[in-house]
Order: sequence, then C-alpha cells, then structure tokens
Amino acid sequence: MTVNSIIEIKNVYKFFGDLAALSDVSLDIKAGEKVVIIGPSGSGKSTLLRSINRLEEISRGSIVVDGQDVHDKSSNINNIRQELGMVFQSFNLFPHKTVLENLTMAPIKLKGIDKEEAKAIAVDLLKKVGINEKANVYPSKLSGGQQQRVAIARALAMNPKIMLFDEPTSALDPEMIGEVLDVMKNLAVEGMTMVVVTHEMGFAREVADRIVFMDDGRIIACEPPETFFTCTDHPRLKQFLSQIL
Amino acid sequence: MFKKIIVLLMLSMLVAVSAQAELKTNSEGMPIIKVASDCTWPPMEFINKDKQIVGFSVDLMKAAAEAGGYVVEIKNVAWDGIFAGLAAGKYDCVTSSVSINDKRKKAMDFSSPYFEVTQAVVTNKDSSAKTLADFKGEKVGAQIGTTGYFAVKKTDGVIAKSYDEVGLAMEDLYNGRLAAVVCDNPVAADFALQQAEYSKRMKIAFNVKSNVAEFYGVAIRKGNKEVLELINKGLAAVVKDGTYDKITAKWFGTAK
Amino acid sequence: MKDKPVKIEITDGAGIPAKNDAGLISAWWISFIGAISIITYLVVTKPDPYKDILMFVPDGILVTFQVTIFSIIGASIIGLFTGLGRISKNRFFNLIASTYVEVVRGIPLLVQLFYIYYALGRVLLVPDMLSAIIAMSVCYGAYMGEVFRAGIDSIDNGQTEAARSLGFDKNQTMFLVILPQAWRTILPPVGNEFIALLKDSSLVSILAVADILRRGREFAAESFQYFETYTMIALLYLLITLILSKGVSHMEDRLNHYDR
Repeated sequence: MTVNSIIEIKNVYKFFGDLAALSDVSLDIKAGEKVVIIGPSGSGKSTLLRSINRLEEISRGSIVVDGQDVHDKSSNINNIRQELGMVFQSFNLFPHKTVLENLTMAPIKLKGIDKEEAKAIAVDLLKKVGINEKANVYPSKLSGGQQQRVAIARALAMNPKIMLFDEPTSALDPEMIGEVLDVMKNLAVEGMTMVVVTHEMGFAREVADRIVFMDDGRIIACEPPETFFTCTDHPRLKQFLSQIL
Repeated sequence: MFKKIIVLLMLSMLVAVSAQAELKTNSEGMPIIKVASDCTWPPMEFINKDKQIVGFSVDLMKAAAEAGGYVVEIKNVAWDGIFAGLAAGKYDCVTSSVSINDKRKKAMDFSSPYFEVTQAVVTNKDSSAKTLADFKGEKVGAQIGTTGYFAVKKTDGVIAKSYDEVGLAMEDLYNGRLAAVVCDNPVAADFALQQAEYSKRMKIAFNVKSNVAEFYGVAIRKGNKEVLELINKGLAAVVKDGTYDKITAKWFGTAK
Repeated sequence: MKDKPVKIEITDGAGIPAKNDAGLISAWWISFIGAISIITYLVVTKPDPYKDILMFVPDGILVTFQVTIFSIIGASIIGLFTGLGRISKNRFFNLIASTYVEVVRGIPLLVQLFYIYYALGRVLLVPDMLSAIIAMSVCYGAYMGEVFRAGIDSIDNGQTEAARSLGFDKNQTMFLVILPQAWRTILPPVGNEFIALLKDSSLVSILAVADILRRGREFAAESFQYFETYTMIALLYLLITLILSKGVSHMEDRLNHYDR
C-alpha cells in the first residue's frame, strides 16, 4: 500500500505545551484519492492538514509527501510546497494584486514561467472556476464565493499534485457555498488528489473516497462513505453524526 | 478660590512688570543691577570647576559695583539671543566681552570702554598663514554674532562657519574640521596656550589687522540712563584707584 | 483580510490632509495662502529687513532640504531593517534591533547630534553635513523601525501563510506580499515622521551646519532684528512643512487604489 502512497503520515504527534493536538496519527493517501477529514472543532483536523505542508511544525513522527520528508530540516520545504496547493477558510488573496496577478505571481517568480504564458494559464484557470471576466479587478471587489474560487485557481496555477482545503466554505454565506463546492467537485472528477477539512457532509458523501473522523487529536475512524455513515462502532462518531446530520 | 489665585497671580505679574522701570534695591538700600554674561569666554567670563561665574570682567563688575555703590547679580546667558534678552528687559546690562561698534550702538548704549581687544587667529601649529585671506577655500570658524565672525565673513573666498560657543569652534579646529578660529585675543590665548590638550596642536598665528581700535564695553538697554551712569561711575572709580590694574594683573599676569 | 486597515496614530508632525477630511483641507489652505501672503506682504511693504532676510537664507533652505531628504532615506532604510529585526524570530537580530531602539529612544536628538559630531569627532572625523544626516537617520530610524514593525504586524497572518504555501520563501513573502500591503498602513505615520524630521532638522544648526535656522540666527545676531528674523524663519518652515504634508497626502491617495 505504501508503494503508491503520495502522502504518508506516520505516528505524528503535535504538542502545544502539555496539550496534544495530534497524538499518534497515521494516514496514507494514494495519488488521485480524495480524503475528507471531519470532526468537532479542536479535534486536530486543521492541525493535521496544515502539518502536511508544514504550516504547523510537528513534535514527533514523519510526514512524507511524494517521497520527500516534509519535516526534515534538510529538505527544501519551498519546493515541496509548490506541489501542495492550499486553500484557506479566509481565502487570503493578496489584496494589493489584481485577480490575474494573484494567479500569475507565484508561477512567474517561482517557476520562471514567461509572463504571457503565465497569463494564458491564469485566464484558462479563471474560466474553469467561472470568473474570467473579473481578471483585472482587485479582490476586494469580489464576493466571498468569487474570492474563494480565485483562491482555488491561484493554488492550481502552480500545477500542484495535491490540493489541501482547510474548511473552504466555512466563511461563506450559505448561497455561495454551492459555487465553491461545484469547483471542487469538478476538480475531483479530473483526478486531483485532494485532502479536505470540511463540515459539508453532502460533499463528503458525494466526493470522498474515504472519510476520516478525528477527535481529541486522534483518528477515530477512516472509512469509505458507504460504511462511514452507518458505522456505529464508535460512540463519539455516532454522537457527532447525530448532531450534524 | 481659583479666581482669587488668578487675580493674585495677575497682580504679582503687574508688580513684576512695573518693577522693571526702576532698579530694585537690596536690604541695605543699594540698587541691584542684573548683568548677563555668556560664560563660555575664558578668561573674561566663564564658569569655573565650582560652577561659579568668574573671570576678568566678573571681578571688574564687582569691583566697580563696590566703588559705585550698587550691587551686581550676574547670570549666565547664551550669547545667541543675549541682546534680545537685554532689549526685552530680562536684565539691565550685558557684560560679555561685547565689542563696541556702530551697528551695535544703534541698538543699545555702551559704557565707557573697559578693555582693548584685538581679533586673534588660532590655527594648527604647522599653519603658515599670515592673513585671513590665506585661508581661501578653507573653513574658518567663529562664534555667531561676534566681531571675529564678521571679520571672517568679510574675507573673500573663506568659508565662514558660525558656532554657538567659541569652545565648539576650538574643538572643531582641534579635530581638524576647521583651518582656523577667530576670536578675541584674551580668549584665544586661554584656549590655545592654557589648555594642555589644545596647546599641543594649536597656536595663535596672528592678529587680524584693523584700522580702528576695538574695545569692550558694557551694553545697556537703549535709554537706560540710570544704569549707564552707575556703571560708568563705578568703572571710572576702579581705574582711578588702581583696582583695575590689580584685576588685570590677576588674569593676564601683567598690568596693561 | 481585515475589513478595516489598522491606523497607527502618531502625534508629532503636521496634520496630513486627507481627501475626506474637509476641515483639515481648509485649514491647510488657510495656513498655506496665509503664510505666502504674509511673506509677500512683509517683503513688499518692508523690504528692509524682510527682503534682506529672505535673500540671506536661501542657501540655508537648500541645506535644510538636503539634511531632511538624505535623513529620510537613511532613516527609512535603518527603520526597515530595524522593523524586520524587531519581528525576527532570530534572537540575535531581534536583540540588536530592540536594543538599538531602546538606546536611541532614550537619548535626546540634540544630545545625539552633539555626541556624533563632537564626542566622536575626536576619533572619527565625519564632515558636518554627513554627521547631521547620520545623527538624524540613526535617531529617526529607531522611530521608523517601530512604525515598520507595527505596519508589518498589522498584516493578517493568513497573507504569510498563503504566500508560504504557494512556495515563496520568507524574504519573497516579506517583500512581495507583506511590505507592499504594510506600506499603506505605514505611510501616514511615516509621512508624519518625515514632517517631524524636517522640523527637527533645525537642531542641526548647533553643528555649525548652515540651515535655515542657523542663517536666521546669523542674520539676527548681526542686525539685532530678532522679531523680524524669526517671524520670517517661522513662516518659511511653516511653508515648507505644509508643502511636504501635501506631498505625503498625495502619495497616500495613490497607494489606496486597490481599496476603491
């Protein structure tokens, strides 16, 4: 199984002082797989996601992405991160750059891609997420849903192998959630490897190959959707599901 | 309560203002003359290690006061603005090595001259300059608003630098930022010859040639006859009875 | 992203007119036109001494400008590195920057000027103009460092995370993402610092640097026309400060484009 895993998380611990945010977390994700992580707040799901591209340092264990140890000080984290697109809850678009510049900045500066080529790629991506007509405005002019779609396009512009989503719809008004989820579903259909932290159970049921339930810094359950929602072995999971469904 | 305090304050200010018109007297009924001196000008007027104002002119003013039947209160005032303070009535006279000249005479009255002075040029020991014009293209310093500074400014081709205190100009000469400093000869002698550190590097090269003799006088607010007469009376008395020569001997070693 | 940019309030310096602040704009015009007309009136009706004063100080104005502009450049560079040092996780840089700020803020500018010029003059002969610029830069660099630090702090951490997760390294993140945004928050207080610096540049006259004030003092010391001279000097400083504050407000408008 580990042979074709693109992300290997092994016995990872993360401590904030005495508090264990992650304890003994192991998870292998295959190329093309879509994994959705759910759990109550404070369960460590965001921490786990963010430690995959080292936005969080881990205290023990190892995370290997595409054959490179993410938390080894000798590996070039900036190169690894280029393989890992990340989408945040709060979009985090660069407000001083236009939508198009948000998409072209990293490819030009980091991959040395020619300006015109980067623009062409960016325009294609904006079409894909359905906001190509806003290419030259500043992010503050866009709605939350539009901003999040730009943020996804920005991450895709680096042509990553893996996309990480950290509660991508939690900051959105309900009527805008659908447009963002649609973009993500299309991405899933295209075969992108995706790790998604979310509360959108419909999305999880429809898209996920596996659903991971975390509580108290541990992985409690890791099942395909068809068994996950009927799984009654775990009282915590049962309780959680009864609260949100 | 507040109103009372304000009224009292205003009254006391009025008293202070009206008191300016004539001199205050001390407990023995002797008039007090307030004197301003820029005490950065050794040996004429300066602050000694005990923070007292001392110097030739200080001794002279005290002796003159004794002889003339009045009392002097000397306070240290920065040169830059010393005449503005005189005009504003903050003190009655300025005894601060003030050279008498026509321009100043328009703005203030002067006592009879009490000291003849020449402008001395202090340079590095190895300088061969004989006149101010020899410093063409070089920086020459002097205290702001002094005869020495005016002399430098009048010399074509020399870059004049004005300092708040002559001591700062001397320091810049010592450090090498200036080619020369021009100031009154007793002061030049004190810095260039008496100060151990300076005397190693500096010398009095020459005096600035002048057709007119230059004298120090006590500057008095224009029209203040009372103070002018008191000071002139005192000065005349100390010259007459030989005290003047004694003070000269004390500060310059020889009687003039 | 934050909805409202953080404003850093610094009290020294003249009021910088903002477009939406009608009161300050008219105050600016009243002062500006007032200063110009008083100067003109005085020079025309009483050429002796006002015209003489005006003819006497121009090289001083130039010197004041030189000191101010070079000090602004110097202080900005020092301030940027100080600000970066203050937020640095590297203990060594952080300590150096913090100590520098602490020391400089604890010593009056006038004393610093005396120190660099006269005290250090014994070992290191720095020309007068340069020591004035160094002293002003060192002093204001510490204040600017605090402004830069606050400006950088005001940018949401999400911006750093977004940039880093794209693969930008620390320096690229700082110079491509954080500073361009921080600049907008930083500019008003920096503009204030510029104006304060211009006014404080009058202190360099103690170094025998012939700025506006020194020229004015020389004129007054020779002519005894203190009232006339300092009236003129005050008006000239006011005029220059007003022009500079106008310039800063224009720069702010240009930087605000992405908000509108």
